[in-house]
Amino acid sequence: MDTGITERTSPAQAKWRKVAYGGMQPGFDDNHTDESFLEEMVTNANVGKRDMLKVMQDSVSIAQYLCIVALIGLVWIYTLKSTLNENSLLLLDVTLLGLGFLILLLTQEMFSLNLLFHYFLNISFFTTGLYLLAPIYQTLTRSISSDSIWAVTVSLLVLHLFLHDYFGSTIRTLGAASNPTLTSCISLNASVVASVFIASRLPSSQLVFAMMLFSLQVFLFAPLVTYCIRKYSFRLHLWCSFGLMIATLALVYTLHLFLFVVFLGLLVFVTVVCPYWLIRMQEYKFEINGPWDEAKLCFDIID
Amino acid sequence: MGEWKRHRILMVSDFFYPNFGGVENHIYYLSQCLLKLGHKVVVMTHAYNNRSGVRYMTGGLKVYYVPWKPFLMQNTFPTFYGTLPIVRTILIREKISLVHGHQAFSTLCHEALMHARTMGYKVVFTDHSLYGFADAGSIHMNKVLQFTLAEVSQAICVSHTSKENTVLRSGLPPEKVFVIPNAVDTAMFKPAPERLSSHEIVIVVISRLVYRKGADLLVEVIPEVCRLYPNVRFIVGGDGPKRVRLEEMREKHSLQDRVEMLGAVQHSQVRSVLITGHIFLNSSLTEAFCIAILEAASCGLLTVSTRVGGVPEVLPDDMIVLAKPDPSDMVQAIKKAISILPKIDPQEMHNRMKELYNWHDVAKRTEIVYDRALKCSNQNLLQRLSRYLSCGAWAGKLFCLVMIIDFLLWHLLQLWKPAEDIEEVPDFVLSHDQDEGISQDNENQSLR
Repeated sequence: MDTGITERTSPAQAKWRKVAYGGMQPGFDDNHTDESFLEEMVTNANVGKRDMLKVMQDSVSIAQYLCIVALIGLVWIYTLKSTLNENSLLLLDVTLLGLGFLILLLTQEMFSLNLLFHYFLNISFFTTGLYLLAPIYQTLTRSISSDSIWAVTVSLLVLHLFLHDYFGSTIRTLGAASNPTLTSCISLNASVVASVFIASRLPSSQLVFAMMLFSLQVFLFAPLVTYCIRKYSFRLHLWCSFGLMIATLALVYTLHLFLFVVFLGLLVFVTVVCPYWLIRMQEYKFEINGPWDEAKLCFDIID
Repeated sequence: MGEWKRHRILMVSDFFYPNFGGVENHIYYLSQCLLKLGHKVVVMTHAYNNRSGVRYMTGGLKVYYVPWKPFLMQNTFPTFYGTLPIVRTILIREKISLVHGHQAFSTLCHEALMHARTMGYKVVFTDHSLYGFADAGSIHMNKVLQFTLAEVSQAICVSHTSKENTVLRSGLPPEKVFVIPNAVDTAMFKPAPERLSSHEIVIVVISRLVYRKGADLLVEVIPEVCRLYPNVRFIVGGDGPKRVRLEEMREKHSLQDRVEMLGAVQHSQVRSVLITGHIFLNSSLTEAFCIAILEAASCGLLTVSTRVGGVPEVLPDDMIVLAKPDPSDMVQAIKKAISILPKIDPQEMHNRMKELYNWHDVAKRTEIVYDRALKCSNQNLLQRLSRYLSCGAWAGKLFCLVMIIDFLLWHLLQLWKPAEDIEEVPDFVLSHDQDEGISQDNENQSLR
């Protein structure tokens, strides 16, 4: 039982020990730094090697979503310019809805007719509500100048893009366990507010309705559809994204040359420059772990 | 080693009595023992509720409760320069020779150390906690620590793990960092007068019931141990957000009669709770030193603890059973502890603790650090600024700016209220302590 004390007085005790008890260790000052100092430190234990191609492929999802938002912006601009009327907008809505369901039907194995009916019911409720509210939206921002509305809309869209969850889906997919995070909810709300603001600048309530339906459809369901495609086949996802990028670039080109250059630059930045940058920055990564770290629990806490 | 010198020390921390905890305890006992060694000690902390102004504690320990309100977790609001006038006044009034700050997240400590350095005082800093390097909070704290430690004369850590951590965080040369552990007042933590019966084994847990103290581990461990040993009973002292989870666990496994929840335990009551048990269980996820283990061991309890931070250094291997912080390993450790329990004699354990830990020893070791700190050379402002500049590309310049402004403010203050206008306090020693103090001095001198 007395081993601790006898050990200290024995002659073999000239060695320094990493202990705090028993007062100052004979022969060693309190600021003694042993060779074993920082022996247990581990650096860069959990740093994974990143592959340029893999990072570029992952960044395609971001570029794809940028294209989707750019397309929404194009539709807004053309509608405000009266190039698109309510009939063509409604036609676009219905086509997109049908296309979306088709993709869901093809990619999701858990899809049943019952669920489809459930979706249709929800969508019809949603559409009716939107139709009834359209006159209110139309007069919502009458007293505010168009410039302010555009400025707010652009900033909301930037916020939306900044907080968007690019690798999940904003609305809960079938069988997904986790709920969307707070940031993705904020992002979704920003996009909805932006759509309301833009729709409120339109002259007739029919147009407002068609436009709102379009914006909400895309903002709410496009992430779900792209998520399903990505889960179904990554190759298909890449092809779809490239198609979408080319189409968007072509459409932006017809609108304005400067915007085209900016958008092209953005896409190149996101898919090439950023991944390269990330890989380069990996060299500077310096992670320190050691006995001072807070222990991680090896089980989940269920509240 | 040269003649004995009487130090005039100002202890600064946001954490002091009436608050209770490791840091508070450390400052109180260290101050008491330094007073006994014949030094002058003054404590500076922020006001606690209506406890504001100057108070005296046992042994003539003078405490300044500076009228700054705490705003978060007993910390004062960081104002950088707000505390300069009062710190300066106290330093001059009390003729302080050395400032000793405690605890890395005390804003008052950081500010006071900064002003003391501006005024050319020698400063010592004690770090009582561990920090990681990954999350934003830690990164920020590490930068602040780097600033404070950039120019500290000597630093003290409470365990070797804590020293490694502090050296990494602050970039201080390791030979400037001393390891002086906490101690325990063994006279306050005596084992039960008679041995407890051994057919029922009581496991005591006293800690705040929060995530960092591993309350979630307890939720997994307690039912398993109760299932394996029908004669084991748990006493859980402490309160916190995780208490609900423990109570849920108790309901779910119907252990109401075997797990007793005491709620918050006053520090003065800790001993009476400890002596009702055989085994002390500590489930912390991070810990620089853990005084609770010392208190338990001093009461003669066998300790089972997670192997985190500085805990493995605290007790000899035959007084503690260590486990990885996962439930199955902890259950194994408790099994082992129960098997060696008959060989443990609480009284003997208590006697060993007396040998191992002593506040007087801590004070003497701290005294050496003070002597070293006073021997450090004085530096002028430019030399000091160049040290700050090397702290980082942006941070270095920011630190320099902060120090320059502090320097200017100090000179303004000196014009506005010259040091000669500040009345110095006459020293006095409590009469009944005088003899003891002198005898301690003699003893001290004979030691050298």
